[in-house]
Amino acid sequence: MFKPVRLLPNKTNFDFLGKRRLALVLSTILNIASIAMVFVVGLNFGIDFQGGIAIEAKSLKGDADLAETRRIGSGLGLGEVSLQEFGAKDTILIRIQRQKGDEACVANASRLLTKAMGNGWSMKPVADTQSGNLELTAPGRISDDQAAKAAAAVGLPENLVRSGTSPATVALEQDQRDEWCQQVGILVAKDALASAYDFRRTESVGPKVGGELLHTGIISVGLVLLAIAIYVWMRFEWQFGVAALIALVHDVLTTVGLFAITQLEFNLTALAALLTIAGYSINDTVVVFDRVRENLRRYKRLSLVELLNVSTNETLARTLMTSGTVFLAVLALVLFAGPVLYSFSIAMLWGVIVGTYSSIWIANASLVYMHFRPDRVRPDDDEKEKTRITDVEVRP
Amino acid sequence: MLTLPRWQNWTITGIVLLSLLLALPNLLPTAVLNYLPQWYAANIISLGLDLRGGAHLLFDVDVRSVVRQRLTDLSDSIRTELRKQQLQVREIASDGTSLTVSLRDAADAARIADIIRNLESGLLDVTTVAPTTLRVAYTQQELTRRRQQVLDQSIEVVRKRVDETGTKEPTIQRQGDERVLVQVPGVENPDDLIKLISTTAKMEFRLEGVGATILRPTKEGWDAVWPELAKSERWQKESNKTLIAEEICRRQATACMPVSRRVVVSGEELTDAQATFDQQTNRPIVSFRFTTSGGRAFCRATTDNINKPLAIVLDERVISAPVIQSAICGGSGIITGSFTSQQTNDLALQLRSGALPATLTVIERRTVGADLGADAIRAGTIAAVVGTALVVLFMFLSYGPTFGGFANLAMAVNLLMVFAGMSVLGASLTLPGIAGLVLTVGMAVDSNVLIYERVREEQSLGRSAMSALTAGYERAMSAIIDANLTTLIAGVLMFGFGSGPIKGFATTLSLGLLTSMFSSTIFTRMVLAQWMRWRRPRELVI
Repeated sequence: MFKPVRLLPNKTNFDFLGKRRLALVLSTILNIASIAMVFVVGLNFGIDFQGGIAIEAKSLKGDADLAETRRIGSGLGLGEVSLQEFGAKDTILIRIQRQKGDEACVANASRLLTKAMGNGWSMKPVADTQSGNLELTAPGRISDDQAAKAAAAVGLPENLVRSGTSPATVALEQDQRDEWCQQVGILVAKDALASAYDFRRTESVGPKVGGELLHTGIISVGLVLLAIAIYVWMRFEWQFGVAALIALVHDVLTTVGLFAITQLEFNLTALAALLTIAGYSINDTVVVFDRVRENLRRYKRLSLVELLNVSTNETLARTLMTSGTVFLAVLALVLFAGPVLYSFSIAMLWGVIVGTYSSIWIANASLVYMHFRPDRVRPDDDEKEKTRITDVEVRP
Repeated sequence: MLTLPRWQNWTITGIVLLSLLLALPNLLPTAVLNYLPQWYAANIISLGLDLRGGAHLLFDVDVRSVVRQRLTDLSDSIRTELRKQQLQVREIASDGTSLTVSLRDAADAARIADIIRNLESGLLDVTTVAPTTLRVAYTQQELTRRRQQVLDQSIEVVRKRVDETGTKEPTIQRQGDERVLVQVPGVENPDDLIKLISTTAKMEFRLEGVGATILRPTKEGWDAVWPELAKSERWQKESNKTLIAEEICRRQATACMPVSRRVVVSGEELTDAQATFDQQTNRPIVSFRFTTSGGRAFCRATTDNINKPLAIVLDERVISAPVIQSAICGGSGIITGSFTSQQTNDLALQLRSGALPATLTVIERRTVGADLGADAIRAGTIAAVVGTALVVLFMFLSYGPTFGGFANLAMAVNLLMVFAGMSVLGASLTLPGIAGLVLTVGMAVDSNVLIYERVREEQSLGRSAMSALTAGYERAMSAIIDANLTTLIAGVLMFGFGSGPIKGFATTLSLGLLTSMFSSTIFTRMVLAQWMRWRRPRELVI
């Protein structure tokens, strides 16, 4: 059998809080840089948050020809089309910007219509500006079957394309047209690439849903931070709650900054990572705080900085070990979980590291600057603590 | 003391065994599952669409256009009614949410307002905005009721249509006030499905056996023959209901009834159908209402054909054939018969669901191919196995074979409990869900780390093995609870706010944290207490 390996000596005596100014300067720079990067460079929002189309496609023969595909993509009239290799050489992720329900989109749909139904079939926006109505022109009377086929060709609900005389009016609201144009975008892209690619995954998020997801995303991050701070405040003193909140905001902000710098896609799973980081990075902080509270009763004469130092050193092994286990688990995700979870895993990895750092320096240092003084400790607490320890010790 | 009362030990053991029992179907190979009873073997976690492949479609139900149509109908009836009463208005304009009635004579205002109010009593708000201008709108209550109805009806129609494709395990859910979520596993190209869902069903009223006739299957006939027919490849993909109906009647003419070739009124003319009760006999009936032109056509047909059956044909099958009792000329009528209220509900729904009540627009669409799903399962499994192995190794190295072993055992129990919990809750496993599982593996042992580190500390203060262990459990507890609860707060809020992929992640993460509070603390405490009684070590190798 083997003996347990210890990463740290039994007792450490690092002067963490002595370096608090250095840590504060470093963190302030990190945070300001993060905010600046978000505003200057911006986040690479996935389609979840800004709407648009994402298609994961696998080349039918050999590696994907990125240059050729890019050339085709930019000539589609779908606005910005970005391509990237996705996990393997023969697989690409095509991202197409959110389609507007404008004339360009209707022109695309018209081309699809002509291709599917033959010459003489076309569509154009109705001139009045109020609605999103379309006008569908056919070479002759539109039969039931033709109406159904035409609707399918351009991705419209079948009941909107009426059989009968040509031209027929397709009644759409402007916002319905905006949503419909995402489907047109998919059809156009697939039509152009079908000869070279097999489509493995297709996603489209319309403007309505995209806006809502970003909105609820921001709200949920705020709520999580607030809820955790309130919890810590209730379990400890209000200063601890504020310190925890500062550390949390620090972790979340720098993670967002990481997304801005690396331009990793910020999507729904990245948001999940952000929320998990908020929930998890507080764990180490709580362990330190728990010890601080205990030591406040035990050591009456120590200055606050010394007390925080002692507490941090006493819990250092814990902090490193708990972060270590999660770090290993997340590392496995980064290495093996595949491209879909890549943003998530990288963010989590960063979160674990920065969470550990912020527990040791940021949360504690904040306590120092709030001139934290325990008001609940009574002079006789020292005695009580002693009796309690002897109490346990006399037991067999 | 470390040792727990006997009843607690039994309860803990019981919980672990129950979890094992519940999680077992997920871990057994199908060959073994086939020998087990169905109710037990079927209790397995289903895979999410991203792992098994399939389509996720979110539809927006256009409730506005329903309200607008209703206002247009209302303005027609107001005109008709006022003409009857020989009152004049200058103009009735609709802005999509209300009608503005401009009067010629301010003196008529009160009378006209009353007339309008009585057209649909209790449902309309009529306000005088200027001496010669009235504003007419449906009450908020009525709008809410209507929205609800439109959504329910849309969901019902969508469900029926998806079911008819024979897709396995489709999920059709309401989402919010005006959305329908459709999730269909195994469908890679949803274009056909979208087409099918948004297709208007064809409804017609035809007289029975008058003039030139055609055969149309009765509902019972269709249900009897179609399942057999649908098995052949030729008919599986056929979406033309007329062809299917003709084939059914060719195979089994007795299941069909002859109806007139001429359509009396088509379903598009039907504006409403409701299940209600006859005010005199209190029996369940269905009331319906036509548009003005539909009402006129219906009036002519019913006047000429009293005491003859009228076939209601939905998608080429006869769903009901009530006998015409009297001429129906008011634009609305009732269908009586020996119905139960369930039957009238169904019939009203079918009459209404002739058409989708509103246009459905796709606003979110996610499809994953089955082979991509298989890749994701492979990647997720590798990540999970490697992650777990790393953590297991780390714990062994850090706390030795005994204590590391107990922590790892607790982690295994935790995974078991998460599987059991997901089986019971009927939650499905997604790729982010697997990530959540891997994270819980790393977080579950954290509680053991906190306990063990405390034990080390207490032991180095010179305590005996037993006392150090006891103190370790007791004093680490508050930090463990705080740490888990804070992460749980994030998990629960994520579940509440998140959509799609986030929900799957939040489920496994939250569930894993909850169960880890049991497995890492209570369960290991029981195991360690037994171990202490057995080994009675002087000093803990930790």
